[in-house]
Amino acid sequence: MAPLLEAVKLSFTYPDGTRALQNVTLSIPPGKKIAVLGPNGAGKSTLFLHFNGILRPQEGCIYFAGNRIDYSHKALINLRRQVGIVFQDPDSMLFSASVRQEISFGPLNLGLARDEVAQRVEAALVATGIADLRDKPTHFLSYGQKKRVAIASVLAMEPRVIIFDEPTAYLDPRSTREVMALLADISRQGKTIILSTHDVDIAYTWADYIYIMARGRVIGAGTPAEIFCDAALLETADLARPWLLEVYEDLKNKGWLPATAPVPQKKEELLGLIPYRSRSILAI
Amino acid sequence: MFRLDQYAYNNRLQKVHPGEKVAFALVTLLIVLAAPRPLIAALVIVMMAGAATVIAGIPFRFYLKLMLVPFSFLAASATMIALTISHQPQAGLRGVTIWGWTLGVTPEGLYLAARVLLKSLGATACLYFLSLTTPVVDILAVLRRARVPALLLDLITLTYRFIFVLLATVNDTYTAQVSRLGYASLCSSYRSLGQLAASLFIKTYRRSQELFTALTARGYQEELVVLETVYPFSWTFLCLGALFDLFLFFLMLLT
Repeated sequence: MAPLLEAVKLSFTYPDGTRALQNVTLSIPPGKKIAVLGPNGAGKSTLFLHFNGILRPQEGCIYFAGNRIDYSHKALINLRRQVGIVFQDPDSMLFSASVRQEISFGPLNLGLARDEVAQRVEAALVATGIADLRDKPTHFLSYGQKKRVAIASVLAMEPRVIIFDEPTAYLDPRSTREVMALLADISRQGKTIILSTHDVDIAYTWADYIYIMARGRVIGAGTPAEIFCDAALLETADLARPWLLEVYEDLKNKGWLPATAPVPQKKEELLGLIPYRSRSILAI
Repeated sequence: MFRLDQYAYNNRLQKVHPGEKVAFALVTLLIVLAAPRPLIAALVIVMMAGAATVIAGIPFRFYLKLMLVPFSFLAASATMIALTISHQPQAGLRGVTIWGWTLGVTPEGLYLAARVLLKSLGATACLYFLSLTTPVVDILAVLRRARVPALLLDLITLTYRFIFVLLATVNDTYTAQVSRLGYASLCSSYRSLGQLAASLFIKTYRRSQELFTALTARGYQEELVVLETVYPFSWTFLCLGALFDLFLFFLMLLT
């Protein structure tokens, strides 16, 4: 499949001398769930700002749907229509004191008619489960609620690719689950999702494909199964193995699972693999 | 500040069309300013207090506290207006005389002080009514309709939003300092306060950069275009407001 977004030999150094990206090449296939894993300062956010045309590559280039991005005003508007970013800190995204107005900002910038925008805002409110917050002022919302408003504000622009920069950072377990469920919903609508995280468990269960970044370089790429079987790679990237895989291997080594048991992707799959023991043996 | 804002979003007049509330408050304000006699101002104070507490449902104690803020300033200035210091004897001047100088009050001075005091309080009551019943977002919508330049409105939007971000940042930084004994002594208090201000400046600058990035990512093009909430006109409020203002107007003409 032809990639939707592609970075080719991308390098970027910030004015203070931080070499954020060095010769980064990666491609995002359409309709997939991509996770970018890496420690803080690995260059994930810098990469994302390139995908949306906010930063310009100093070396290398970005392709969207096969076309090299040129940085004319019109091309940038078109790119931002197709690629949306949900930033890590919702407070840096929210500028308006009204939830509804905040969400209407992006679609209105696309030049849509007001009726159409109103419909999109409603749809985004419902999709993110914050329809009851419609008329609330943004400064009285909790962190998790602000996060949802930030997601809705990008969703209402209906981009083809949505980038989530650490969507679960600072969220409590319940909000984390709900945000991940929301991401799954968005993905089912055929949108391409790119997500950055340090959470290996989330990346393992959720992603179709994973890129691992460290110190401004892509040091590994592959399906979750491939990535997390590569002990040397995980070691260099300072990443742990997902608990699901650890438990699965341990159960297999100790003979609780047959050697032919398939590698589980989700907790439920692993639990389904573990066989019942007959009561008589349990009694001994 | 926070409570005032909370009431603006949560009162019984919140669903009334903001244009009506703005018009009512402004027309009444004009009448108060134009009316020559303090009676009308006194009437407006009572009516506006009633509208805010009885009709909109703002707790009376909170309203009183809000009114006390300008009142304390006004009381001080009104006293200065009422007092007269004179070397020459004046008609109706009563007070203490030391070495030929008299410090005291005249009936005209008292009348003037009362007029200034009531007029200012009346004007304040009009604006309090507006800010207690109408969220800033709605007032901005009215201003946009009135063709106030977009640049100014964008500035107000951002300022208003970032007052809360700034307060939260101050609160967090202050707590972080207190938890490490930053305000244990007078000397360390001064130092900590200075650092708080400095870090606030840097953080604010960074926030503005982040906001600009985030807005650009959503296609920001030199104007913060947003969807306005549509409110239905409420004839009851409009008629009541108009009646009250007409009554004041005729009262002003008659007296």
